[in-house]
Amino acid sequence: MPAFKIPFNGYSVKFSPFYENRLAVATAQNFGILGNGRVHVLSLPPSPGAPIVETAAYDTSDAVYDIAWSESHDSILVAAIADGSVKVYDTNLPPASNPLRSLQEHTREVHAVDYNPSRRDSFLTASWDDSIKLWTVDRPISVRTFKEHAYCVYAAAWNPRHADVFASASGDCTVRVWDVREPGSTMIIPAHDFEVLYTDWNKYDDCILATASVDKSIRVWDIRSFRVPITVLNGHNYAIRKVKFSPHRGSLMVSCSYDMTVCLWDYMVEDALVGRYDHHTEFTVGVDMSVLVEGLLASTGWDELVYVWQHGTDPRAP
Amino acid sequence: MASPSTDTKIENPALAEPRNEGDQNATTKTPKPISSPSVFVNSEPIRPEQVENAVKFLSHPKVRGSPVMYRRSFLEKKGLTKEEIDEAFKRVPDPSPTVQGATVNQDPQPKLVANAQLQAPAQAQQTSAAPTRGVISRVISQPRFHWTHAIYAVGILAVSGAGSAVLFKNALIPRLKSWIRKIASEDENGVVRKPGSKPSATEEAAAAAKTAAEAAAQVAKASQEMMDMNIEEKRCFRNLIDMLEVQQREMREMSFTIRKLEDQTNSSSVVRTYSQDYRLSSSKQPYTNGMAEFNSLPGRSSLPPASVNSSIPPYPKSYIEEFNDLSSNAYQHMPNSGVAPRSKPWEAGQPPNSSSTYQLQADSDLGNINGSTSRWQQKNVRIAELENEEESKVGPYYSSQAPEQTARRPWVPPQPPPVAMAEAAEAIRRPKPTVQKEQQLTGDHKLDQPLNELQSVTDISEMGGAPEARPSEIVEELEGNC
Repeated sequence: MPAFKIPFNGYSVKFSPFYENRLAVATAQNFGILGNGRVHVLSLPPSPGAPIVETAAYDTSDAVYDIAWSESHDSILVAAIADGSVKVYDTNLPPASNPLRSLQEHTREVHAVDYNPSRRDSFLTASWDDSIKLWTVDRPISVRTFKEHAYCVYAAAWNPRHADVFASASGDCTVRVWDVREPGSTMIIPAHDFEVLYTDWNKYDDCILATASVDKSIRVWDIRSFRVPITVLNGHNYAIRKVKFSPHRGSLMVSCSYDMTVCLWDYMVEDALVGRYDHHTEFTVGVDMSVLVEGLLASTGWDELVYVWQHGTDPRAP
Repeated sequence: MASPSTDTKIENPALAEPRNEGDQNATTKTPKPISSPSVFVNSEPIRPEQVENAVKFLSHPKVRGSPVMYRRSFLEKKGLTKEEIDEAFKRVPDPSPTVQGATVNQDPQPKLVANAQLQAPAQAQQTSAAPTRGVISRVISQPRFHWTHAIYAVGILAVSGAGSAVLFKNALIPRLKSWIRKIASEDENGVVRKPGSKPSATEEAAAAAKTAAEAAAQVAKASQEMMDMNIEEKRCFRNLIDMLEVQQREMREMSFTIRKLEDQTNSSSVVRTYSQDYRLSSSKQPYTNGMAEFNSLPGRSSLPPASVNSSIPPYPKSYIEEFNDLSSNAYQHMPNSGVAPRSKPWEAGQPPNSSSTYQLQADSDLGNINGSTSRWQQKNVRIAELENEEESKVGPYYSSQAPEQTARRPWVPPQPPPVAMAEAAEAIRRPKPTVQKEQQLTGDHKLDQPLNELQSVTDISEMGGAPEARPSEIVEELEGNC
């Protein structure tokens, strides 16, 4: 299907866990440095030739760095805003009453938001104020604050099988594994020699973790023996912004990088790079794999385009 | 904060059980909710060497000045676990040593008490223990009690100063007074006032003067010794300098000799190149030169190498040995001008060069003077230049002779030349060398054989015909001419 043109620079895409044709996009003006932001809710066409349609859009006063769909309500979105606030939107409500909630606790930009897929009522926000906050949708204040990182936390990811365990990636070059019930982090993995920009859990093996870093490599770790990575995937030419495990195949991963490509990896295979998409003309900063449709990929970048395509096809094909 | 945690805990047992059953990684299946994420906890034991390194790192003064967060972050990046980092932080003395001081105080006390019991009664024990305790506490709690320490020091200094002042007053004043009185008494009287304190004073003064004089003498001695030491040091330095100068001279001489050797080799190779050029320019003489060399060397080959070595730089030795090789296996040497088939000689091994030069000369001497000789000449020049660089590396060439020759084999030799040229070559061969040849033929057969073989070989290559007729023809011609 054709690309969707957004007015601002794209930052993140997320497929809805409820509807296979629904997609949320976080965008920011002026590359997210200064200016407004917008949250788009897009609807994918039933037929491949038709264009993508926007069903809702919410403007924000500052850049939107990340977006997450609620796992409990099909119309609720959580957005991470660059002014340190976390905004909750409900697509069922009229635009006047949106945002549903604006949670202002972080002192710096909120860079990532992740919804708990197991517990379905809580989400994490990772911020540049070195802390991670745990929230529940019904509460106006955060439940827990995890402050241990020495530098910006770029990502937080819930473990798909253990509802209380999550991992965080930070600019202090470490990845920490936390348990919500513990006061502090339970594991500190010195994952890279440079900033770790993203981390994600393997959906089929709850002890496997992938980290994406500024050093152009993706490292796959087994937390049971975290001193040495299982594998190091090289292939990107610039820093890797996101890495996501496939919900359908255990060893498949998708990554997006500042080298304007979206790459698919299978770390169990000797030649790990199984796909490469060069459709963007600017930094690709957002990528997602649909849970409901196997092989459906979405990506967005600073070239103000959102692509949705099936793995194996050309993203730019109309 | 409490309610959500209780909420989670309530939920946990329900969730934990199915999770435990399904979770292959769970180590225990206790009803505790915390059992399942044991995988997500660092279960490594504390590594002592890592802790040691961390302690060293934290004890560094520069690190001390940095914020604690940076120190922790650094250690985390290095791969230390939380427990190890905490242990290291515990071990490194913090600016709050009260806890440490108390714990350490208790340890030495029983020991000291035990020691004191052997020596003195209970009171003494206590008194001895108390000051030791005080000392220990002072020593241990040093960092905090700097100021009291300073006060102590000041007090001691003041006391000592006061005491010394008092002493001086007590000692000096009587001495001064006695001195003055002595002088006065001397002026007035003579030696009458001997007994009493004054003569003692004078004696004391005299004694003091003597001691002063002795001290001065000692000082003088010491200074004298210092002077001697300096003189000795100077001598040693001078010796060193002399030795260095000697070494320098020797080094210079060595460099001179090396240069001389180089010049010699240069000159000899230059001579050879010139001879080759000369050969081309005038058809007759090069051959004579070559023949001359050719003649002379076989003669020399019989000589022991030592004599050769004494007069000539090393590489002619190989020259000789190569001629020996040539004699043994003449035909193989013909196509030897095989610098071309190999990779660039300046890249790959140096062995080919010197051997090839000589062989080339021999070949060209034997008169394969065709269009190819110009090429050979160039090669010779090139090789000669290279040879200059590598004169010192002649030794290994002997052993590498055979492979070189076999390596040269693949290169197609420039022979056979056309018949016309062969005739010209024949004609060239006629004049002087024929006379010499006669002499050789009549004379030394040993020497003859290589010559003949070589000639026959060249003839074969040139004519492509039967070699046997040739020498006889030449001989006939020679005889005819004569």
